[in-house]
Amino acid sequence: MVDFLSQTPPFGELSPEALVAAAAAMRVSYHRQGEQFHADSDSDSALRIVRSGAIDLRDANNKLLDRLGEGESFHIGRLNTAGEDKVTATVIEDCLLYLLPDADYRALRDADRRFDRHFHGQRDRRLRRAARYEPEPHLMTQPVSAVMCRDLLTVAADATVRDAAVVMSERRVSSAFVMAGGELCGIVTDRDLRARVLAPALSPDTPVRTVMTADPLWIDADASLFEATLAMTRHGCHHLPVKHDGGLVGVVTTSDLMLARQDDPVYLVQHISRQETVAGMVEVLRGVPNLMVQWVGAGIRARQVSRVLTAISDAVVVRLLQLAEEELGPPPVPYCWLGFGSQGRQEQLLGADQDNGLVIDDAMAPEHAPWFEQLATFVCDGLDACGYPYCKGEVMASNPQWRQPLERWRETVRSWTRTPTPDAVMRVSIFFDLRAIHGEAALCRQLQQTMLEQSSRNTIFLAALAANALDRPPPLGIFRRFVVDRDGQHRDSLDLKKRGVLPITDIVRLHALARGVGAVNTDERLQALADSGELALVDARNLTDALHCLQRLRLQNHVDQQLRGEPLSNFLNPRQLPKMAREQLRDAFAIIHDAQGAVRLRFRQGLG
Amino acid sequence: MRRHRWRRWYYRARVRGTPLADCWARPWPSTRQAWLDYEYLVCDAEMSALEVARGELLSLGWVVVEGGQVRLDSAAHHLVAASRSVGQSAGIHQLRDCDLHGAEPEALVLRRLCEAARGRILVFHHAPLDLAYLDRASRRLFSAPLLLPYLDTLAIEQRRRERLDTAPQPGALTLTACRRRYGLPDYPAHNALVDAVATAELLLAIASHRGGVDRQGRPRPARLGDLSRH
Repeated sequence: MVDFLSQTPPFGELSPEALVAAAAAMRVSYHRQGEQFHADSDSDSALRIVRSGAIDLRDANNKLLDRLGEGESFHIGRLNTAGEDKVTATVIEDCLLYLLPDADYRALRDADRRFDRHFHGQRDRRLRRAARYEPEPHLMTQPVSAVMCRDLLTVAADATVRDAAVVMSERRVSSAFVMAGGELCGIVTDRDLRARVLAPALSPDTPVRTVMTADPLWIDADASLFEATLAMTRHGCHHLPVKHDGGLVGVVTTSDLMLARQDDPVYLVQHISRQETVAGMVEVLRGVPNLMVQWVGAGIRARQVSRVLTAISDAVVVRLLQLAEEELGPPPVPYCWLGFGSQGRQEQLLGADQDNGLVIDDAMAPEHAPWFEQLATFVCDGLDACGYPYCKGEVMASNPQWRQPLERWRETVRSWTRTPTPDAVMRVSIFFDLRAIHGEAALCRQLQQTMLEQSSRNTIFLAALAANALDRPPPLGIFRRFVVDRDGQHRDSLDLKKRGVLPITDIVRLHALARGVGAVNTDERLQALADSGELALVDARNLTDALHCLQRLRLQNHVDQQLRGEPLSNFLNPRQLPKMAREQLRDAFAIIHDAQGAVRLRFRQGLG
Repeated sequence: MRRHRWRRWYYRARVRGTPLADCWARPWPSTRQAWLDYEYLVCDAEMSALEVARGELLSLGWVVVEGGQVRLDSAAHHLVAASRSVGQSAGIHQLRDCDLHGAEPEALVLRRLCEAARGRILVFHHAPLDLAYLDRASRRLFSAPLLLPYLDTLAIEQRRRERLDTAPQPGALTLTACRRRYGLPDYPAHNALVDAVATAELLLAIASHRGGVDRQGRPRPARLGDLSRH
């Protein structure tokens, strides 16, 4: 005990006698994963030192402030008086904690200056860390100088418009500052060149002075981003010169302001595409689960979150392909990287494994094979490292079976539709939801055309698909009770993906193939089916609602799991749902049941 | 936890007026109560031999668990003055005869134990061994065995592993092995007090795993019966 304390930062500073006295005053407690400490529920206020295990500190908005491990300490009461935020501590790994009661803690801080200083310092450090995890509230208050571009392009006032246009194109910027005698006298932008030179057909030799915006609005380097944004929207401009002590020091643009929003999905996607190494991408993606928690907390709907998560995984694939191409040289023949399954449908959530393939132009020669093999291996390994684990069913471009020229792909599709074996039907449910992620999209389009042609009139094939779609009845017993797993790791839970989302996508895919609908996203498919009269409007809407309800519950479940520090899974214990959500879940399953009945009638008539 | 009603009744005259009688006067704990509602005295004894007939009590350490927390201010460690030399077991316990200076007579240590155990449930890791020595000491002093309520963390773990159909492995039920299963750290030293604290932490871990956590992150405490039924 004393040994451990003497190796724990603030206590190591204490004299041996004080250390023994502190140890004697302590208590020990043990906490399970998922337990939480709140300031108000904390009856006996104390400093808690983590002896083993791990703890997450989060604020009222569920933003991660700090993750504590062995030897680190927190004082939940003090944390909540220091800032106004309601900080909660959640055990994410079973914890053994040493408690130093508040009175003893205060006495030690009064008695020992070094001990006291540690906790002062710790609070600063924690604030700094909190700022790192929490870009948003600070975003609008940070100074313009933090985000502005300092690399300025200036032109003399009597230079010609052509000169200005040439240097602007060279530097690839959209604005230039017009200087006269070392002073800023105007700004000329792309828009000025278009509206004031080209449209009225002025000569390129016109001096810049006549077309520039004279005495432009400017902002001080110490002004906040909020002020900058306000000035831009109020005056309808996209570029704002930044001055400091009267001299021009930089420029801030609307895109700079947008990039400052680090928790913005757009920023994240751009950030991914700027990484030069797989390790860099892994680092960027590390924050995604916590961002998901914030997006859901901010009220972004499940459908949009899944689109964003798909966009992120698309960006990862594209960047990996670019990195691979930089290494291997340009592709010998055109190719297209395909995303299957949930990525294809743009309905991905976190924790999905990769399903992908490569369709190559028919001009491919045998000697080109190694290039594509290396490409696919690089990307699949990179995806695995980035948190998209290898597909258990080997549906990956690194598997030579799914890295084929277009004609071979078509042949495979034809063989599946000709003889729909159970194996082929299972493949169809993955491969027929496809989308071009990168490369020659026409290849993907042609392949999908073949799929639709082969399946739309093929009643035997459709009947086989229908049998597969009916294979998974919704988990509702008589009297509308939930049927849950009775044992194993997921006792009393049901798999929302397998029992809910996938049956809906199976049914909708079946209708879409029968009708020849080219859309892949389930919502879009349902819309097209309703428009074409294949499905009654009310049925289409019901299925849409059921899917959204299930996806929302899945996403909320992921958020809860993330907050409790558990690994993400699709298993949910219906008993832990609020009553309202439980009723909705029941209704969603009832809709699936009805839709399956309709499928039986339409595609399996006379087949039993 | 077997109630010793008849045995206590048999010995009642002999213990009258002793600290043990005070312990017996307290109500027997109910297995339906939450385990947090009781206080525990977690004990560990060191002895010179595994057979009670050949060994002597060498030291006794204990610590109180109250409200689900180990109270380190209650920790106590008593060396027992041995009637014979420590002999062979010095290798095991790193206690040599010279360390036992400052040791107290067995009777005094037992009296202190009875005072500390009043109104509390005893906890041991492998109770039969420790209790054999303590009961003998109690018979010498009070002419009666202790007959106090107790829990045995080893027996709880053993029962759990049988229920999970885990094949018995040698060494799987030692204090260190049990603690590792709950993610508790290893303690280097081996003395009665350290082992008592280690057992107390194991008790907390077992109890919180027998209970649960609700959706709001509040612990749901186990009942005493969840720990004592083995």
